[in-house]
Amino acid sequence: MKRRDFLAGGCAGCASLLPGLAAAQPAWEIPARFARPDAGSDEGGLWSMMDREEVRLRKSPFSLRDPKLQAYVQDIACRLAGEHCPDVRVHLVRTPLFNASMAPNGMMQVWSGLMLRVDNEAQLAAVLGHEIGHYLARHSVERLRDAKSRSAFGMFIGMFGAVGQLGQLGLIAGMFAYSREHETQADSIGVLLMRKAGYDAAEAAKVWENLQLEMKARPDGDASRSPFFATHPPAAERQQALAELARASPGGAANEAQWREGVKPFLRDWLHEEVKRGQHEESLALLGRMIARSPAAADYRWARGEVYRLRARDGDLDSAVADYLAAVADGGEPPDTHRGLGMIYRARRQSPEARTSFQRYLELAPEAPDSALIKSYVEELRT
Amino acid sequence: MRLASSVFAVLAVSFAGVAWGQSKNLAPGFTSLPKGANVVIMPTDIELFSISGGGVLEPKADWTEAATQHFKTALRDKKQKLGLRTLELAEKDADELAEVNTLHAAVARAIALHHFGTPLPTKEGKLDWSLGEPVQAIKKVTGADYALFSWVRDSYASAERQAAMVALAFVGIGLGGGMQVGYASLVDLNTGQVLWFNRLLRGRGDLREADKAAETVEALLEQFPVAK
Amino acid sequence: MRTLPMALLVFLLAGCAGVAKVESGERGLGERMLVSLDGPWNKVSAPDREPAEVWTMEGRPVDELLIYSGIKNEQVIHATAMGANRKNFAFRSGMQPDEIVAMFEGMLTRDGSTFKLVKLAPADFGGAKGFRFEYALTRKVDNVQLSGLGFGTVSGGELFALLYQAPRLAFFPRHQPQVEKMARSARIKT
Repeated sequence: MKRRDFLAGGCAGCASLLPGLAAAQPAWEIPARFARPDAGSDEGGLWSMMDREEVRLRKSPFSLRDPKLQAYVQDIACRLAGEHCPDVRVHLVRTPLFNASMAPNGMMQVWSGLMLRVDNEAQLAAVLGHEIGHYLARHSVERLRDAKSRSAFGMFIGMFGAVGQLGQLGLIAGMFAYSREHETQADSIGVLLMRKAGYDAAEAAKVWENLQLEMKARPDGDASRSPFFATHPPAAERQQALAELARASPGGAANEAQWREGVKPFLRDWLHEEVKRGQHEESLALLGRMIARSPAAADYRWARGEVYRLRARDGDLDSAVADYLAAVADGGEPPDTHRGLGMIYRARRQSPEARTSFQRYLELAPEAPDSALIKSYVEELRT
Repeated sequence: MRLASSVFAVLAVSFAGVAWGQSKNLAPGFTSLPKGANVVIMPTDIELFSISGGGVLEPKADWTEAATQHFKTALRDKKQKLGLRTLELAEKDADELAEVNTLHAAVARAIALHHFGTPLPTKEGKLDWSLGEPVQAIKKVTGADYALFSWVRDSYASAERQAAMVALAFVGIGLGGGMQVGYASLVDLNTGQVLWFNRLLRGRGDLREADKAAETVEALLEQFPVAK
Repeated sequence: MRTLPMALLVFLLAGCAGVAKVESGERGLGERMLVSLDGPWNKVSAPDREPAEVWTMEGRPVDELLIYSGIKNEQVIHATAMGANRKNFAFRSGMQPDEIVAMFEGMLTRDGSTFKLVKLAPADFGGAKGFRFEYALTRKVDNVQLSGLGFGTVSGGELFALLYQAPRLAFFPRHQPQVEKMARSARIKT
C-alpha cells in the first residue's frame, strides 16, 4: 500500500480558520483523521511501539483509573479534537507534577499535578488543545524524521510511555523539546480548538502565567527540571502572543464550577501528594494563589498549614496554626487539620489545646492509620 | 553508564570453566514434566538496547518490536519440537494477571542473582523459590498446570562503539561489545514452585533477525524438562 | 531509560555482592542492639541502603530487612551518592514517631516509589517505648506492590529500627511471623 503524504492531505468538511486568527499565521486547516500507517513503514513501526507503551501505561499502578473522571477529561479532549475525537485516548496518571503529552498514535497522558493546578475547564482545554495541536500538526513525527534524532528513537518512544518518571523524563524530554516554531503553532491551534469547543481563550495565557509563578518560587529558579517545561521551553513572548490571540477572538466559557465539582473527590489526595513532594517554596506559591482565588476553601488552607508545619522555619509554625484555624473557620476542613494543630500544640507543651485538637481528629477520623498513636498522645496529655 | 568494561570482566569470570550440572536448573524432587502436561506460555518480556560510543545504553524500540515477533515465532516452533501442549496467553488476560507477572519477574531476578550468582546460604544450593498460591490466578484464567515465563535483555554495539572497540583492542584494552541476558522459568501453577530455571548470560546472540532469534530460544530452553 | 540498567546490573554484579549467613541464636546489631533468631537469615552487602544493615530470605529483588542500629542525631539515613539533587532525609533525636515514619517514607520514595501508611501505633521495642507501623509501597523500578512492617524507638538520642518489606502476594505473609518474633526479642542496651 502506498504511503499517503499526510501533511499535504486536504480535507472535506474540515473547519476553516476563525476570523481574526488569520493575521500573522500562514493558512492552516485541521487535517482529516490520520489512518494507521503501514505496519512495514517506519511510521508503522512507530505506531506499534506506541501501542506497547500504551499497554504498559494501562497496567501501571500509577494509572488513575476512576471511570467518571476519565470520562470527564476524555469528553473535554474529544470536543477539542472534533473529528479526531475517536483517535484520542486519555490516560490519567497519579503524579504530582504539571504535565500532559500526546503521542503520534493518539495516546494522551494527563498527570494529576496538572489537574490540581488548573482553575477551570478552559485552562485544562488550553493545555490539552496545545497538545492536540502538536498532534494535528504532526510535530512529533516531523522530529522523528529528522536524521539526527534517529539514534534516540527508542528513548523518544519511551518518553510517551514514561509514567511519572521524574528526573529521567526531564533529561530525555530536554533532548526532544519542541522548537519555537512548533510551540507557536501549537499555541495557535490550541486557541483555535478552544474557541471551537466554546472555551474562553483568555484562560490559555493564565495557565502558563501561573505555572511560571510556581517555577520562579524554586530556590534554585531552575524551571527546566519540570518535565513539561523540558519539552515545552517557556518563552515570555509566547504568553504575549497567546494573550493577543485571545483578544482577537473573545467570548467563550471557563466552566469553573463544573471543574471544581468534577475534581472535588480527588482534591485532598492531590493536595496531600503535592505537600509530600517536599518542595515547600513551590507548594507555598501554588497554594497562595489558590487561596487567593478561593478564600473560603478549607482544603487549600489545610494544605498550606501542612507545608508550613513541615518546613518549620522561623515563624512557620505560627503561620501553620493560622492556616489550620482558618480552615476550621471555613468549615468542612480535612480531619488532618486537627492532627496538625495537635502536633504543634503538643510540641509547644500547650497540653489542653493539644488534647482538644487530637480528640477532634479522632472524632472526625476514627479509622485513621495513626489513630492508635494519637490516642496514646491524648492519654499522655491527660497526666 | 560504564557497564561495558565491567560486563567484559564479569563474562570472563563466569565463563571460567564452570559446567553446571543439570540439577542446578531443577527444583529438588523435580525431574521432568508429566506427559501431556498443559503449559501456558506467558508473553515474553524482551527489550533491546544499543550501546553508544561512550558506553551509554539506549533502548531501541524498533529493534525490540522486531525481536518480539521473531522470538514469538521461534518459541512457537520450539514448543512444537518439544511436543508440549501449550496455550498462549491473550493480551487481555495478561492485564488481569499483571501483579502475578511482576511478582514472578522479581523472583526470577532473585534466582538469577543468587542461585546462578552469589548464593544465599539459607537456600543451601537448591533451586528453592515459590510464588505460592497467587499463581493459581493464572491456572484459573488458562486452565494450565504449568507456566513458562521468559525474559531477554539484549544490547548491541553501535557503529561508534564498534570503532572504539577496534581502536582500543590495538592498545590491548578489551571493551565489551554487547551482551545478552535472559531467563526462562517453569512454574507449577498449583504450588507456585519454580520447577526449572535457565539463565542466559553471554556475549553473543542476535534477536534482531529471525534465524538468530531461533538460536536464542534454543539456548534459553536448553534441557527444558520434557518427559522423555 | 527504563528498567534495563537496574536489571542488567543485577545480573552483572552477581559476582560482586557479598552474602554471609546469619545463624540462629543471639545476634548483636551494632553496639547496642541484640536480637534472638529462631532461624537463619542471609546478610547481603547493600551500599545503597547504608547506614542500614540488610538481610534477606529470598534475595533483595524480593524481600529486605533493613536494620538501623544506633543512628545518631543529624545522620542521613540513606546513601547520598544517588541523585545529588534530591532531598536528604536525616534523623534528629527530637523526632516524634510520626516524623520518623515520614523520614522513612521520604527515604523509601526517593526513587519514585509510592508509599501509603496503613497503621501507626505505639509499641514497646527493644525494651523501651517505641512504635510500630505498617505500610504499602509500590516499587517504581518494576511496579511490584510491597507490604512493609516497621518497628522503632529512640534510646539515648539514637534511633533503633527494623523495617521489613516483601511483595504483598505470598512473600510478606510468609515471612512476617518471623520478623514479628525477631522484633519482640530485640533488646537495646542503655
